[in-house]
Amino acid sequence: MKDHLERRMTTTDLNRMTARNVQVYYGQNHALKDVDVDILDKTVTAFIGPSGCGKSTFLRCLNRMNDTIQGARVEGQILLEGEDIYDRRVDPVQLRAKVGMVFQKPNPFPKSVYDNVAYGPRIHGLARSKAELDQIVESSLRRAALWNEVKDRLAAPGTGLSGGQQQRLCIARAVATNPEVLLMDEPCSALDPIATAQVEELIDELRANFSVVIVTHSMQQAARVSQKTAFFHLGHLVEYGDTTQIFTKPRDPRTEAYITGRIG
Amino acid sequence: MSENHILRAFDRDLDAIQGLVMKMGGLVETAITDAAHALEAGDLDEAERVRKADRDIDVLEYRINEEAARVIALRAPTAGDLRVVLSVMKIASALERVGDYAKNMAKRTQALVELGHTPVVAQAGASLRRMTRAVTELLSDALDSYAARDVALAQDVRIRDQEIDQMYNALFREFLTHMLEDPRNITPCIHLHFIAKNIERMGDHATAIAEQVVYLTTGEVPDDPRPKAENVANLPKS
Repeated sequence: MKDHLERRMTTTDLNRMTARNVQVYYGQNHALKDVDVDILDKTVTAFIGPSGCGKSTFLRCLNRMNDTIQGARVEGQILLEGEDIYDRRVDPVQLRAKVGMVFQKPNPFPKSVYDNVAYGPRIHGLARSKAELDQIVESSLRRAALWNEVKDRLAAPGTGLSGGQQQRLCIARAVATNPEVLLMDEPCSALDPIATAQVEELIDELRANFSVVIVTHSMQQAARVSQKTAFFHLGHLVEYGDTTQIFTKPRDPRTEAYITGRIG
Repeated sequence: MSENHILRAFDRDLDAIQGLVMKMGGLVETAITDAAHALEAGDLDEAERVRKADRDIDVLEYRINEEAARVIALRAPTAGDLRVVLSVMKIASALERVGDYAKNMAKRTQALVELGHTPVVAQAGASLRRMTRAVTELLSDALDSYAARDVALAQDVRIRDQEIDQMYNALFREFLTHMLEDPRNITPCIHLHFIAKNIERMGDHATAIAEQVVYLTTGEVPDDPRPKAENVANLPKS
């Protein structure tokens, strides 16, 4: 029987995603240099660093969101379950069902709560019947800790929910396709402290089933929710390690300068 | 870390707490020196001053803990900053204990003076003074190593503590001999022995402070066994 102090650590060494020697260019600008990272199974990995350090750029590489940016070029290797996600045979739409994303501002579709969650399963053909789709919607909303609040108004527009509820609706939408990895780009920066705490609690619960990667400007949030932390600075991955180690004994002076709030 | 925080009030908070620790260290060093002098000179007034001055040391420890709690609550310190806050609390606690030992020395001085003049007290006085001087230097070096973040000096303090241990062992044997020679020596020797034991404990606290300096600077608590010479529990049966 493991106690709480052991359970909160990473529970696996299994890699979901592996990035090796990743370079990103925006035109002439070399935005990300030589990044190697492992995204572990059932683990929350936090990316921290000052604005423009490349953390969001790297997050967007993990489900090929940079494909849509004019002039962006990605080099190196990013593997999901051992397969190169930049292989020509990979369909980015299929990839994004396996690597879901939640954005900074809650962005529910202008549809009902139900249809927001059902959207992904529908386009990917994950449900064979209405009953099965109902089941997916309910379990996704439960996983997003939203079911009890919205079960009586599934037909109401998703945009009518509170900000925190909208963000959890977006998380339910992302988990509805049963992804392997969930990417979150500043998921709490538009939320109040209570809604933030609810989303953080949710992230901790999601870890049981998914790998979560979160980009955050709040170092305290990274410290609270993650087991692994990667610190980016000027396009480099400066340090990657256990969150406890990063926040108590960082190895690189640049990491120390950043997390202690000094000019780095 | 030489760079300043972007939020300069954070630097001022940390500097202020560390200033309190240095001030506390100064009061404790004075207390030891004065207590040793009072013992040697049989000066009751000075002993009384040492006892009263211990209150100031206790108040400083309380203030340091309050300030450390405030920094943790308001500034959420991490990495090197966190280690500063954790180490000041431990150092303050070690200094408070040393202050208590000095106060106890003053208390026993009063008891010894009431016993009247005995040759053993005069004889032990010089040895205790040497031991006190050595422990004051050890403590002062521990605090200097803290102020300068000097790991080499801190390691030196850890090693030198065995000198204090050896002095204590020698005194222990000396007191034992006096007591065997004449039962009238038992009461003063028991007091003198507690004083010697307390000075030996001061050395251990100086070592604990030095260990905090190593932790503060490197992030690791030293785990190599430091040499120890205190072994009166293993004295041959006489």
